[in-house]
Amino acid sequence: MSESRETEPNASLGEEIAKEGALQTRSLWKDAVGRLLGNRLSVIGLVITILLLIAALFGPYIAPYTYTEQDLLNVAKMPSPAHWLGTDEIGRDLFSRVLWGARTATLVAIFTTFISVIIGVIIGAIAGYGGALADNITGRIIDIVMSVPGLLLAALIAVSIKEPVVSWAENIYDTTGFPLFADTTWLDLLVVFGGLAFVSWPGYARLIRGQIFSLREEQYIEAAKSVGVSELKIALRHLLPNAIGPVIVTLTFSFSSAMVLESSLSYLGIGVQPPQASWGNMIASNIGSWSYRPWLVAVPALTLAIVTLGINFLGDGLNDALNPRSKRSI
Amino acid sequence: MFVYTLKRLAVAVPTFFAVLLITFTLTVVSPFDPVEMMMTQFEGTLDTLAKEEVIEKIRDQYGLNDTYWVQFTRWIGRLLQGDLGISINGQRNVLRMIVKTFPISFQLGLAGAVVTTILGIPLGCIAALKQNTWIDYTIVGGTLGFRTVPVFVLAPLLLVLFVLVLDIMRVPRGWDGLFQTKVILPVFILALGPLPVVVRQTRAAVLEVFSMDYVRTAKMKGLEMWRIIIRHILRNALIPVVTTLGFVAEGLIVGSIFLDSIFAIPGFGGVAEAGFRGFDYPVIMGVTMVSAIMIILTNLAVDLVYPFLDPRIKIE
Repeated sequence: MSESRETEPNASLGEEIAKEGALQTRSLWKDAVGRLLGNRLSVIGLVITILLLIAALFGPYIAPYTYTEQDLLNVAKMPSPAHWLGTDEIGRDLFSRVLWGARTATLVAIFTTFISVIIGVIIGAIAGYGGALADNITGRIIDIVMSVPGLLLAALIAVSIKEPVVSWAENIYDTTGFPLFADTTWLDLLVVFGGLAFVSWPGYARLIRGQIFSLREEQYIEAAKSVGVSELKIALRHLLPNAIGPVIVTLTFSFSSAMVLESSLSYLGIGVQPPQASWGNMIASNIGSWSYRPWLVAVPALTLAIVTLGINFLGDGLNDALNPRSKRSI
Repeated sequence: MFVYTLKRLAVAVPTFFAVLLITFTLTVVSPFDPVEMMMTQFEGTLDTLAKEEVIEKIRDQYGLNDTYWVQFTRWIGRLLQGDLGISINGQRNVLRMIVKTFPISFQLGLAGAVVTTILGIPLGCIAALKQNTWIDYTIVGGTLGFRTVPVFVLAPLLLVLFVLVLDIMRVPRGWDGLFQTKVILPVFILALGPLPVVVRQTRAAVLEVFSMDYVRTAKMKGLEMWRIIIRHILRNALIPVVTTLGFVAEGLIVGSIFLDSIFAIPGFGGVAEAGFRGFDYPVIMGVTMVSAIMIILTNLAVDLVYPFLDPRIKIE
């Protein structure tokens, strides 16, 4: 279209059209990035998320101490040059423990998001493609899982599977002597993954099902069908690229809620066990002394609050950036 | 209406039954053995052979050797008689623990729901009327934060802020009834959790109603803005807000789990927290079931009330 108008003699109009042409050649993704970076809150969120990922990846190398190292001459000290955020009740460096906690939180969030996306996509696809009966059955299952508060259900599952998982690992260690199974710290994580994944898949299943049902009615899908493109190819080539926007947005939000759930479980003493650092168990072990050692509870609490806020801002920005057709929906 | 009620019940009852099944299955899967627990007190008094025999006897006596379904039906039977079992830590009647603490949490939760509504509806309304201005962004962004920031983060931070930094209150602890100043902070924290859901729903609903013809007519005939908002916009916009009640109930239940111990409130949430901390299965099961009942009942109530509020919805 712009080619035919380029013959216009008017120079200023030509310039405008050139601009317009440039706009048209921008891809959806470039456009989305532009929209994302144009939103101040989502840029803040993006920065916080990147900082979190850096802390999670390189935290142990940045951290001046390990998460168990005790400085017994400086127990429960306020922030100082030697200990930037102070030390806890048994002399461990708080800054280092917050960094290790970032690793725990990110690890749990990534794994549970990954597991629950896979389960959610499978169930969602069954609901969307399996006909009315399959849709009904999966719908009932989702209703059931969602009728119990996520935290309670996750806690119930974690409590119930904890012992079997530990004894399973002990058995393997006894028979194979594989050193990996002697260490129980990652078993705690495994228990948390299980509990969290079980409560977070229904969201994805609903989303995928909804996308399949709504996109199916679109004309380009109908067109592809009428030309004889196979269902699988339609799903991969047409449905998936169009559903990816909402999925990314949901991913972001469930990333932060997985982090919060992990801290909640660890706070309740079900999830990550001390001395392993989790923001949740750091808050739990110091909440009784908030009135005389406020920084011990304030530091992990503020970190968790800032990180979840940041990720949510990013999610909101992504929502606006990736779904340009919908107006600001929040 | 009668048929509709039956239909909604036909959905709610199996859902609750499935929750029971999940809860029961999980405790069967878990290797926690109440008999082993009982035997720990006889440690050293019996030799191993005799111990085995005693364990087997006790198992028979309590029906723990029966099949899964026999045990399940027996458990359901006991539930129907109001028997939720005895807690492991302290050997207390679980039903009595819950009955004793529930009214306190219910009052707190009700107060929290009222505060959420009182704050949420005007905030959502303002955000919609000032759409895409800094006011809108501040309200939406500000409440958005509380969507996931949990109670055990908010509570200590606000305590540090109000008690230590600003020094405007004494440490609020305990429970002496609802109409006490020390209830203000816990209720406020409880209310913040579900607040963003209410704000967002109100905002979206107001935006939708705002472009309706009857609102334009009202504007054109020169009605004052506040009158339009109250008479025409809110009346229609508030209907979908009712549907958030289920989320509000869930937020309040989960919030109280953390809140009670921080503020030393002898509530339902405190029972739940102690149950989880002590791996106390009977307590955990009881708490989960009561929570599920509350949420299912709230959603059922919303479903049943909704057609009355919105006559456009036809009951099949």
